[in-house]
Amino acid sequence: MSWNEEADTMVKAFTEAQTKMWESWCDLIRTAPAPTMPSYSGVVDQWREIASQGLKAWTGESEQVVKDLAKQLLSAQDVGMRFFELSLSTWKAMAPKIESGQDWQAVLDSYSAQFRQQFLQAPHGGVAAVEGTAELWRLYLEQWQKLGQPWVESLRRTPRHFGQAAMGDGSAPIELMNLYWDAYERTFGRLLESPSLGYSRELNERLLKGFNAWLEFRRASHEYQGVLAGTWAKAFEQLSHKLVSVAQAGEKIESLRQLLFLWIDVIEEAFLGVFRSEEYIQVQGRLVDTAMAYRIHEREIVEGFLKVSHVPSRSELDEAYRRIYELGKEVKELKKALQGVTGGRSAQRKVQS
Amino acid sequence: MIPFPLLLKPEEAFRQLTELNRKVVQGIESLSRIRHDEFRVGPTAKEEIYREDNIVLYRYTPMVERPFHVPILIVYALVNRPYMVDLQEDRSLVRNLLKLGMDVYLIDWGYPTRGDRWLTLDDHINGYLNNCVDVVSERHALDQINLLGICQGGTFSLCYSAIYPEKVKNLVTMVAPVDFHVEEGLLNSWTGCAPGRKNIDIDLLVDAFGNIPGEFMNFGFLVLKPFQLSIRKYYELIDILDNKEKLLNFLRMEEWIFDSPDQAGETFRQFIKDFYQDNKLIKGQVKIGTKQVDLRKVSMPVLNVYAEQDHLVPPASSIALERHVGTADYTARSFPVGHIGMYVSGKVQQDLPPFIATWLKARG
Repeated sequence: MSWNEEADTMVKAFTEAQTKMWESWCDLIRTAPAPTMPSYSGVVDQWREIASQGLKAWTGESEQVVKDLAKQLLSAQDVGMRFFELSLSTWKAMAPKIESGQDWQAVLDSYSAQFRQQFLQAPHGGVAAVEGTAELWRLYLEQWQKLGQPWVESLRRTPRHFGQAAMGDGSAPIELMNLYWDAYERTFGRLLESPSLGYSRELNERLLKGFNAWLEFRRASHEYQGVLAGTWAKAFEQLSHKLVSVAQAGEKIESLRQLLFLWIDVIEEAFLGVFRSEEYIQVQGRLVDTAMAYRIHEREIVEGFLKVSHVPSRSELDEAYRRIYELGKEVKELKKALQGVTGGRSAQRKVQS
Repeated sequence: MIPFPLLLKPEEAFRQLTELNRKVVQGIESLSRIRHDEFRVGPTAKEEIYREDNIVLYRYTPMVERPFHVPILIVYALVNRPYMVDLQEDRSLVRNLLKLGMDVYLIDWGYPTRGDRWLTLDDHINGYLNNCVDVVSERHALDQINLLGICQGGTFSLCYSAIYPEKVKNLVTMVAPVDFHVEEGLLNSWTGCAPGRKNIDIDLLVDAFGNIPGEFMNFGFLVLKPFQLSIRKYYELIDILDNKEKLLNFLRMEEWIFDSPDQAGETFRQFIKDFYQDNKLIKGQVKIGTKQVDLRKVSMPVLNVYAEQDHLVPPASSIALERHVGTADYTARSFPVGHIGMYVSGKVQQDLPPFIATWLKARG
């Protein structure tokens, strides 16, 4: 599945999730003014389930960096769902107070404070959960096993493809693949379990460097999520203020669309404000830089796998492309020089064609 | 006390939601019947007249018997596809120029593959663009032709006109970034345009990606207006789902927006570092291959067209051109639209092509 198709699927799923959310919101309103707060977690959990399934389906065949970015997006969206959850709880709780003539702005302010508190806890909690180096190392190796295993598994399951290309025969490659599998078990399989083995020092070093890069990426990712979470909280506060200004202007919100578009305008403004801030620019820069640094380390490790499997690597192909490019450029220059001798661009184009 | 403004009654909300769902279901049904041919882009007839590597030079079939003797070569950006200038029959800059008697050529940069990752700005400007100019000039037995550079293509055209002023009769730039260190641009901030700040490590990005994926670029553009472009836009679509004509227009735009070629790595590296991060164009420090770009050498007449609500290329970035070019014949014209509105707004398409044609014809 291409990135575009993935994005398309994500947009569709997102729209569905939004619709479900609004449906549930209507249900909540229909039950008002209930004295206790109905739970909204069912909808959010449902969305998480959809998102989790969708993530697997959309990015199942994508490279790791795509999966990471997709997770990032979904994570941000998850924050958005919680924003709605709390927004609705707030309004729900406010309804009876408003009916009894209490000051709804004061109620809103107290919810804003609570909301900010809850939002800002989430990303730090994530960091705290994986503070131990041993735990991080385990997660990192787990990721590598996930990365390596499907690759080897797919080769093992499709010996004919490999065989046709390599031998033109169906039986020999099976044997070949078995040999390959054994070799994998004896080298990288063990390596992942025992990173300190001496004979694999070079790859071990790559893995360790990759671990550091991965750690940096995780940190930057948490930091980024933290800024986004803060922005959602800020958006909620701004929505509260917007509601006040709408009320002060004597205007009313009487349709779903009006409310949704008001919400979109407010969060857009809140996010754009943050996007322009020095803090966001730096955090975003770190996220991209650490993701790219990790990607380079990841490539080095994968190329180690490829080297022993007699498969050309990305770096080798790039080098070949570079040589072809340089030769092509040289040929063009020679043609230009030839054009100078023979005269006219027509001659040159004939040569090119 | 101020009354609470949210007066949405449950019954009414439910009715609205039901209506919304009904429209969506009907719309999906309509969508499923639409064939790709129905929203074909680039409808104006054209012929390929030159091809080099992945790039193709097209000539649009003239619509008058004797077109204006100096042809226009349209230089589009490497980002997104050039058929935006000929999206559909009634929204086509190209078609409108042809109707006004102009002879129009266009460079299609193609879709770079991994093998193109080493292509540089030198290859694009001193190579492909220069060769296309020569081909068009030769076909018309002219020493000079008119250039119309759009967005990044406008910046390329400026560089080209500064290096080869003898080959450009008139230069039209459209929504072209010139000063990259303007404060208004979010894109500029994110790529590290504030003096002394290098937000994103471009070398690392290119080394990791090779070519920069089109989807990565697209993601960046969408995030500039995240909720408008990924939520509101699709809610508004619900209103036009039962209007086939509008739906087809929407689909054409969607096709264009998500049709994003990868960016050749080395070209991207130099463009972001020299232009965005170091703002070398207006400092006279850009070098394309071995050739220095000095905007003071842009001595031909220049028409600078920009969009007043452009969130991708802030107006200030384009307006700066006047302070840096050497020409004595400089004209600026703005329109109250955004970046994309320049190509698709009905009002702009009514006013802009005649303005360009008149301006060019007045200069021979």
